[in-house]
Amino acid sequence: MIFVAGVTKAYRDGEARREVLRGVDLEVGRGETVAIVGPSGSGKSTLLNILGALDTPDAGTVRIDGVELSAARPAALAGFRNRSLGFVFQFHQLLPDFTALENVTMPGRIAGRSAASLVTEGLELLGQVGLRDRAGDFPQQLSGGERQRVAICRALMLEPPVLLADEPTGNLDATSGARVLELLNDLRQRRATTLVLVTHNPAVASRCGRTLLLDGGRLARHQAPGRPLNRQRR
Amino acid sequence: MLRIASRAVGFVWHVALRYFRSTRADAHIRVLSSLTAGGLAVGTAALVLALAALSGFQNHLLRDLALHTPALQVELGGRVDSATGGVGSAASIVDRVTAAEGVVAAQELLYARGWLVDRRGVAAVEVVGYEQAPPAWIPVEAAAVPGLIVPLQVAQRMGLTVGGSARVASPRSSLTPVGPRPRVRTLPVAAIYDAERAGYEDLPVLLPLEQAAALFAGGDRRLDLTLAPAADPEEVAADLRAAIAPAEGSVATWRQANRALLFVLRLEKGLVFSAVALIVAVAAFALLASLSLVLSSKRSEVGVLAAMGVPPARLRGIFLTLGVLLSVGGAGVGVLVGAGIALLLDSFRVLSLPSDVYIVDYVPFLVREEDLFVVAFSTILFTGAASLLSARKASRLDPVEAMRSART
Ligand SMILES: Nc1ncnc2c1ncn2[C@@H]1O[C@H](COP(=O)(O)OP(=O)(O)O)[C@@H](O)[C@H]1O
Ligand SMILES: [Mg+2]
Repeated sequence: MIFVAGVTKAYRDGEARREVLRGVDLEVGRGETVAIVGPSGSGKSTLLNILGALDTPDAGTVRIDGVELSAARPAALAGFRNRSLGFVFQFHQLLPDFTALENVTMPGRIAGRSAASLVTEGLELLGQVGLRDRAGDFPQQLSGGERQRVAICRALMLEPPVLLADEPTGNLDATSGARVLELLNDLRQRRATTLVLVTHNPAVASRCGRTLLLDGGRLARHQAPGRPLNRQRR
Repeated sequence: MLRIASRAVGFVWHVALRYFRSTRADAHIRVLSSLTAGGLAVGTAALVLALAALSGFQNHLLRDLALHTPALQVELGGRVDSATGGVGSAASIVDRVTAAEGVVAAQELLYARGWLVDRRGVAAVEVVGYEQAPPAWIPVEAAAVPGLIVPLQVAQRMGLTVGGSARVASPRSSLTPVGPRPRVRTLPVAAIYDAERAGYEDLPVLLPLEQAAALFAGGDRRLDLTLAPAADPEEVAADLRAAIAPAEGSVATWRQANRALLFVLRLEKGLVFSAVALIVAVAAFALLASLSLVLSSKRSEVGVLAAMGVPPARLRGIFLTLGVLLSVGGAGVGVLVGAGIALLLDSFRVLSLPSDVYIVDYVPFLVREEDLFVVAFSTILFTGAASLLSARKASRLDPVEAMRSART
């Protein structure tokens, strides 16, 4: 599902070059869940952005769902992101001018579907995270946890084969964080979605099938094995 | 394909309309977008009014000019009637001209400068020699006796009356046994005409063509053509150019004969337009500022939209549409108000002018479709450029950077 080989990325920091990724290799199968942990500034978000075709690597190959990202043109990449990827960000990144339901159905609107045809699915998703009666509320009327739940619904709207989550609970208190994570896993499991999740939190990582450590610009198996939340198909 | 395209438009509208609504929530953006709308309203109204006033004046001027200039004229060549170089006589040219389709009549005229002389002194005048009857643009009945037809102002200055006589002198001289003598003829004053209006400083003195030819040999000779009402001057001119040789005469339509004036009128309009269009340009800057402000307050959202797979072209579309939404109201109101005021001022003749100053005694306004088109086109050009600039900025936003920039 996800195939990454030899990815490097450096940022120019004044005169100096900061090599953030120095040859990342990663393979994730369909339906697998992978947690990426690592110290702050180690390049976790950078890697996730490269996986999400939001950023381009300096070298290396990224193939997702059979699509070679470096070969695709901007318009094609946009369509790919819309259909094949779901993003959950650390900060909910909901659109403040749109209601919860409109935010959830936005990927469908972008895909060219009419608003009316999306209402049922959108309400059902909101129902699954317990926010069906908040469908008409705007983001600023929702709490932090509620916003992140809406953001998860939005990421899952078009049932993308790959879900990328960058510290989805990093901005929430423990209880809402646990709730959000549970939902994420629950919904993902029902649809056999591949999940790559970046986290600081060992408890969160422990609930994923596999935990990788990003350090020194390379990925390695993490040494603190947790109890897998779901069986692995490797 | 069409359905996909229309859905894409639907999405762009969906987002642009929400962003438009949100411009009222932010105080800074609200001020700037009101400035945009107000500026566009004032600018387009001023443009429409200014052009309507100019069109009104120019329309009157040209109508007046058309009354006093033939639709088509033939400037006769210098060698006509001189029996040299295979150039036909004036009579043969007149025959050929009147034979052309659409030509009803041709009248030969001679233009020269000369003097009216009396005991008190000399007045320099323009002299027009006419054939049969004075040209239609001289407001006088056909004179009973052939003779001088004098403008009222000249007659008053020199104490001339109908039935009296006056002496006309030419700058050419005749050689006589006692040396060169000025050519002078005494002619009866047949009529006095009153052009009624000021504005024409140089009203001509008319006299029969034969007399004029004898006095002013070498003056400019011209055929004024009367055309059938349905005839197209340009077409007739083309036919005539084929019928007469270049040495015999050059054909000019009314427009060609007044080329210089028409050019000045267009120039006048262009200059006034450019000056007033500055208001619209300033409004377009306000639009650029408000769109930039919207974009900077929506940076992270635009980044999210890009991350969710909105292609760059549609991001551009959102901001172009927002630009249209922010400008169409003001511009529309401005055009309507400007046209409305112009129509009112014209039909009720609100602004009056002293009647002896100009050809009309009120300020006329004429709202012409092509003027409205020019106003609309230039407004679209200015606001479109402003929208396009910010739309391009929006579509080139790096989503990662954008989302990093604003975190709530
Ligand atoms: N656009 C950028 N320009 C310069 N440096 C950047 C940019 N993006 C990230 N970095 C740097 O790259 C490093 C990795 O960043 P990031 O991937 O966000 O780390 P993490 O998500 O693991 O905390 C950090 O040191 C960060 O400052
Ligand atoms: Mg990060």
